[in-house]
Amino acid sequence: MPLYICNSKAGAVPAEAKAKIAADVTRIHCDVTDAPAKFVHVFFFENAPNPPLGDAAAMIYGQIRHGRTDEQKAQICKEMGESLQQHTGQSADALHVFTSDTPASWVMEGGDILPEPGEEEAWLAAHEAKLAAQENAA
Amino acid sequence: MINCTCMVQAGQISAEQEDVLRAETSAFGARHFGSEPSINWITVPEGSGFTEGKPSTSVLVSMNADRALSLAEREPLLRELGAIWEEHAARTPDEVVTVISDPQG
Repeated sequence: MPLYICNSKAGAVPAEAKAKIAADVTRIHCDVTDAPAKFVHVFFFENAPNPPLGDAAAMIYGQIRHGRTDEQKAQICKEMGESLQQHTGQSADALHVFTSDTPASWVMEGGDILPEPGEEEAWLAAHEAKLAAQENAA
Repeated sequence: MINCTCMVQAGQISAEQEDVLRAETSAFGARHFGSEPSINWITVPEGSGFTEGKPSTSVLVSMNADRALSLAEREPLLRELGAIWEEHAARTPDEVVTVISDPQG
């Protein structure tokens, strides 16, 4: 988590654009939130039933941890929209970008409950130390 | 009825593994939430899944609980569900994301 899902009409997001958009989304999320890149997921689908495309040619829906500010979420959406527009050549009004909040305590990744926003650095250090201890013990 | 979404990467989970994962995930739901979940199995197409900006090997399992859970109740359930997927999908802990959400609305 976060999980960003890009849904598009067939061919609206060229295969060669996916890695570039994924790299942008990962960078944008980390720049805006200071979260580690390690657990940023970006998955692409075509004509998936969810999230529904409506009239859009392509969309990105981000499930992010609860606690980000409205300004952070707006910045993420703005920059992701720009990336999507740049790499697909679609007009801005054919693209849709939004996020929803998921409580950190509902999610486990790497065997640990995710940290609340702002607690990532300590969480990641503890997580890496735990993994190292498990490797040494194995 | 509870729902469970399972997202896996194309070509990384065999049909045999999928059968076991579906069965074990259903049994988990029945054991803890009173009924087998409706499973929505989603395969991320090849070349379409990225984690940390690189091709992904992650699986994501998201199940609705039948009731609001405290953290003390939720954490061991997340751990148990994650262990099912680590074992039967042959993933490391870092490759497994589990979500157990409270009922919405």
